[in-house]
Amino acid sequence: MQSPLVITGMGMISPLGCGVKAGWERLLAGRSGISSITRFDTGELPIKVAGSVPSFEDDPEAGLDPDQVLDAKERRKLELFSLYAMGAAEEALTQANWFPTSEAERLATATIVGSGIGGFPTITQAQNTLLTRGHRRLSPFTVPAFLANLAAGNVSIRYGLRGPMGCPVTACAAGVQAIGDGMRMIRSGEAEVALVGGAEACIDPLSLASFHAMKALSTEQDAPTKASRPFDQARNGFVMGEGAGLLVIETLAHAEARGATPLAILSGYGTSTDAHHITAGPEDGAGAAAAIRAALRMAGLSPEAIDHINAHATSTPVGDKGEIAALRNAFDDALAGIPISATKSATGHLLGAAGGVESIFSTLSVMHDRLPPTLNLENVDDDLRDLDIVSGTAREHATQHVLCNGFGFGGVNAALIVSKV
Amino acid sequence: MSRKRVVVTGIGLVTPVGNTVEASWANIVAGKSGIAAIEHFDVSGFNTRFGGSVKDFDISPYLNPKDARKMDLFIQYGMAAGGQAINDAGLECTEANADRIGVAIGSGIGGLPMIEQNHNALNKGGARRISPFFVPGSIINMISGNLAIQHGFRGPNIAITTACTTGTHNIGYSARTIAYGDADVMICGGAEMATTPLGLGGFSAARALSTRNDDPAAASRPWDRDRDGFVLSDGAGVMVLEEYEHAKARGATIYAELKGFGMSDDAYHMTAPPEDGRGAALSMQNAVRDAGIDAASIDYVNAHGTSTPAGDLAESRAVKKVMGSGAETVAVSSTKSMIGHLLGAAGAVEAVFSVLAIRDQVAPPTINLDNPQEGCDLDYVPHTAREMKIDVALSNSFGFGGTNGSLIFTRV
Repeated sequence: MQSPLVITGMGMISPLGCGVKAGWERLLAGRSGISSITRFDTGELPIKVAGSVPSFEDDPEAGLDPDQVLDAKERRKLELFSLYAMGAAEEALTQANWFPTSEAERLATATIVGSGIGGFPTITQAQNTLLTRGHRRLSPFTVPAFLANLAAGNVSIRYGLRGPMGCPVTACAAGVQAIGDGMRMIRSGEAEVALVGGAEACIDPLSLASFHAMKALSTEQDAPTKASRPFDQARNGFVMGEGAGLLVIETLAHAEARGATPLAILSGYGTSTDAHHITAGPEDGAGAAAAIRAALRMAGLSPEAIDHINAHATSTPVGDKGEIAALRNAFDDALAGIPISATKSATGHLLGAAGGVESIFSTLSVMHDRLPPTLNLENVDDDLRDLDIVSGTAREHATQHVLCNGFGFGGVNAALIVSKV
Repeated sequence: MSRKRVVVTGIGLVTPVGNTVEASWANIVAGKSGIAAIEHFDVSGFNTRFGGSVKDFDISPYLNPKDARKMDLFIQYGMAAGGQAINDAGLECTEANADRIGVAIGSGIGGLPMIEQNHNALNKGGARRISPFFVPGSIINMISGNLAIQHGFRGPNIAITTACTTGTHNIGYSARTIAYGDADVMICGGAEMATTPLGLGGFSAARALSTRNDDPAAASRPWDRDRDGFVLSDGAGVMVLEEYEHAKARGATIYAELKGFGMSDDAYHMTAPPEDGRGAALSMQNAVRDAGIDAASIDYVNAHGTSTPAGDLAESRAVKKVMGSGAETVAVSSTKSMIGHLLGAAGAVEAVFSVLAIRDQVAPPTINLDNPQEGCDLDYVPHTAREMKIDVALSNSFGFGGTNGSLIFTRV
């Protein structure tokens, strides 16, 4: 019998603030992390709201103080998504108490941090520099700042983690796939401990304008906290978020041998492809359902055993419908009895970091038997009326197993099952 | 969990020396360089004005040109190499096998040309000028996505991005996916097209590129004392990996077995390797252990060998550390001497070359190696290809961020 894979540390920086505790408390309290964009002048851009990580000045309680993560000189060499990953890594490794010092421990630690886009703002700023001041003015750190695998790279350098390194870049499924990759590396004996999850920071004029060109973003302007409204009839697109969510994972035997506390079990993982369309899922949700079934199979669970679903639900008209179709496909009649939450209603869509952050919320649900609310659900879609979507306020609910979904452009699907220890 | 054997049954290439496997390989064995002046944008004023561009590329055999226009060039190169590999493998996707076939093709950088174009459009004309095809036309996982859509592959679909180790990691990941039973067939590799003003300017600002503008064909010269940086190149490499029994049952041609895969991280510096090459050595050692072979049995190493001062030396030291006395006889060459550095595609293209070296029993040459630097004292197969017995070949890739990957192929 294999020793189960367990989570022993979690770290998070999100639009709800820095730290797992602050993020979870605010999520349960129904607070929204969505606000008007102030980082740059949105000018004539029709997109005015985003889930930005709050600054220390605006949010003394849980805002980001970059100096606490890295000194200003070092920060110039890397992008915000790397900084977020480094902040989340410190918190996760501290909770897990995993700061390997011996050669053997370092070589046995993998670093897998996915990202959907990588250092996009660096690219657009460098392009401005190139056009206005010429190539000689480009920073030598341009390339290492924007490469998507440098979140993993910078984290591994800081902590001397010398085992396998990876970075799935699978759009909005990257975070969940990074966790799945880490699970496999431990199972195959390539690593004993893995730091896994996702990081993203691309709230930038060009990325907002490009997702807008696909009509993917909410154009809400006046009421930022109302913009992300998964499953609601008035939803009109997703809200871009940013941040990082990282987990330390290892086998239960490894955790126990070193006296670490297991927070939850990673019992199942599955991944599949729609093979249908570059940005839209098939109406019957067959692809996503296949990933969910694969995760249930690995966990050895029947659909009825799932107590809660942390949905991918981004607040786009088509995507939310497709996910429910997939859930109906995989769960059939059992779905009506399973409470579903869409935490992107509070955080917005963190793209490649979404899976990292939402797997942490899923873990907290099994640890505390609390389900986070779905904000802004005023008029649910007609064909979802039979479902139990947790809306309004958080709910106490005995929770043994949680399903956490992540789907991305290109038709990539990933599903994770987190279970009580 | 019992592990399944993984074999290579199809290959595809788009490189600076040819747009098919046979064209590329013929030029590689002949020692021809594909490096030349960059002509697709105005390079005057740049410190480096040459690269390894793909020439006379025609997407129409692989994709409707109308659809191709919505995709950035790295995706088109990946679709072409992928189409070749699938065709070469004689692979047909049916309702019965679709769930068991996956795709893992990455890119180190992704759609830089489209990012630049759309950024310029935004600056000039505002948000309305951004193309709705920009995001799906430029994000990195869209080779995996589009190939799956084109052929109906519904198995695992991923795109790993680890700078210059991307191709190697995607192939290694795919081998694991098959070995552990999550798929029977994986289409895997890497693609890149980052030779743009920003790509060239960015790597140039990092002082990573050769500036030998007066003689581009001599610019990529791994291990030579006069090397001065790598040459930025474009292209794609894709291979079809398949579970051994599955391949045998359908009568597929087997090029080689993918016997071992290893990874490691330097945990040292963003862009430079440690001088002793310990991270690279660990990656090779992990691959050797995974393959269950004796390191001294490796006949041929397709080196990462990018022609940068620090990297080449560190890799040579790592080979010696791993192979011990075997390092005295092993043939080590860098095909980057002819095609330059394809970044995220490099590992995949070089894996294909390693497989071909086994098929044809020939080690490709390292051209431009006129005066090996002190300390670079392995057998680098200088100038001309060598016919020799190759039963075991190892292919290395190392990337910014300190990420390392090694693949071991063996003759079946």
